[in-house]
Amino acid sequence: MRRTELREALSTAVSALRFNAFRSLLATLGIAIGALFVSLMGWLLYGLDTALERTITLLGQDMLYVDKWDWSGRTRWAEVRSRKDITLQQARALAQELQTAQIVAPLIEAYGVRLSTGASTATVTVTGTVSAYGLTPAGTVALGRFFAPVEDRSNTPVVVLGHAVARQLFPTTHPLGQTIRLAGHPFTVIGVLVQQGTIFTQEIDKRVYIPLPLFIRLFGAANRSVTIAVKAGSEERMEQLRQELRGLMRRIRRLAPEAPDDFSINEIQAIREEITGLRQAVWGIGLGMSMLSFVVGIIGIVNIMFVSVAERTLEIGIRKAVGARRRSIALQFLIEAALLCLAGATIAVVLGNAIAALTRTVVPQAEFLPPYIPLYHIGIALALASTAGIIAGWVPALRAARLHPVEALRYE
Amino acid sequence: MKQPLIVLEKVTKVYTTGADTIHALRGISLSIDVNEYVAIMGPSGSGKSTLMHILGCLDTPSSGRYWFGGRDVTTLDDEELAQIRNREIGFVFQLFNLLPRATALKNVELPLIYAGVPAEERRRRARAALEAVGLGDRLFHRPTELSGGQRQRVAIARALVIEPSVILADEPTGNLDTAAGLDIMRLFERIWARGTTIVVVTHEEHIARHARRIIRIRDGLIESDTPNPEPITALPSPPVQLP
Repeated sequence: MRRTELREALSTAVSALRFNAFRSLLATLGIAIGALFVSLMGWLLYGLDTALERTITLLGQDMLYVDKWDWSGRTRWAEVRSRKDITLQQARALAQELQTAQIVAPLIEAYGVRLSTGASTATVTVTGTVSAYGLTPAGTVALGRFFAPVEDRSNTPVVVLGHAVARQLFPTTHPLGQTIRLAGHPFTVIGVLVQQGTIFTQEIDKRVYIPLPLFIRLFGAANRSVTIAVKAGSEERMEQLRQELRGLMRRIRRLAPEAPDDFSINEIQAIREEITGLRQAVWGIGLGMSMLSFVVGIIGIVNIMFVSVAERTLEIGIRKAVGARRRSIALQFLIEAALLCLAGATIAVVLGNAIAALTRTVVPQAEFLPPYIPLYHIGIALALASTAGIIAGWVPALRAARLHPVEALRYE
Repeated sequence: MKQPLIVLEKVTKVYTTGADTIHALRGISLSIDVNEYVAIMGPSGSGKSTLMHILGCLDTPSSGRYWFGGRDVTTLDDEELAQIRNREIGFVFQLFNLLPRATALKNVELPLIYAGVPAEERRRRARAALEAVGLGDRLFHRPTELSGGQRQRVAIARALVIEPSVILADEPTGNLDTAAGLDIMRLFERIWARGTTIVVVTHEEHIARHARRIIRIRDGLIESDTPNPEPITALPSPPVQLP
């Protein structure tokens, strides 16, 4: 195909579309809707993935959590429920013997604790832990400080607030140095954690942290299973740490050699698996809707292209008379169909971006979504649309190319 | 020295429309030499249009042979026929057949586009062809902005721009008034004088009499094929220069 012919086909297609702008717009509606679905699906998936990666980074990629509960959901619920609690003694024994870990911190929780200031109240989860937790990514403070080692042993009533709690209780005042009451006992706020919550882990910011000895005195350790947060220090040491944890825990829990583990060694990565289902749902729905729209769109384009070929029969005859070959004519109509679909997709992408921007402004929960359609997905939408155009244009273009010159010239 | 450009040997054309079989051409044999000026005459339904289509490689015979410039056209496929139309044959139609949305210049460029001529050269040659037919000041007019005679001259420029071996004109004055028609016939006279072969299909005697040879067709057969000893030529020519 010569370049001059290609340019001619392109300019003819553009002028034909401009001449029939309104009709073209209607014809491309199905393709536009398909491209819109592709764009929005890409936008949602991108948002989910970004939020997931952020969660994992914030909570630490080299963290393992020894827990009675299994985070990945791979162990049967009944089995998990029947496991014995991990006690503080077991946690201490583990901490003493562990070689590979950089940081070990027990976490013990009390749910539904009433928290009040002079002005407002809230219900929060209280976590008792040690100063070392402040060195993990999840214990990083945005304001003030985490507990000092001395506070691990004293009974100083200090508290570190989760991000959401601090924002709720002290929307306008500075939280540091303020006194709050937990189950009636006064505590001084010494720090506020960085915001860690994403769409997946909003609860994490609604916690408060107090030193372990105080926790035991106020809430007791009975009937509470301890979670042990362990930081490997590097991702390379994760496997070694995992094996050491398993061995130690089995010994500490006195498991028989043939007995299965009665604890889980969780990692943040497990969240990945949890959202796989959500991801697949978005994918499936998005794919189904967009394919449906594309099929409808292709039918529309096929129709309009047949109309276009019929209307321009005489023009085809003229072009053939002056020496246009079949493929030149076919190319002209293929390009027209592809451009038609690209125009539809472009409108869809603009609309998609508007929807993305608007959603971000109107819906606060959509914070995890970007305010635009990612470039990659714009590319996919445009590529799919032009492919649809070429498929749709194929039969009409062949019909145009195969018109007999004499019959085409006779057409009025 | 005579050199045949077009040679037809027992050419027939049969159309089947439903149950009817129409014998449009029943065995035409003729030879047209380079730089002849021929009129093909006949009443409507005589087969002259069919003959014109076959001569122009727009259609192929049902039987018989057709040599164009020594090449057996009956054996060629669609692509090769398109190439012959593109390089050798300039068409002039009764209804002009210009692209309505394109300027005069763009219309004349069209055959060169399919010949793969680069844009700049294309423009130059199209402009020269339009100047040659006296439309140097109408380059950017669209067909609807031109008179019938001007439109036909654009069509002739489009035929001329490829420097064809033959110009095939099908009732070229059929949609023009007498004065405009005469202008067109004068133009053909000048093009012929320059060495191009001209074949005019018409049913009008006074148009046919511009040619130097008149072939009469009736019922798909050649009725007569005679030289025209007294062609109409003594007409004042418009002051235009051919390229």
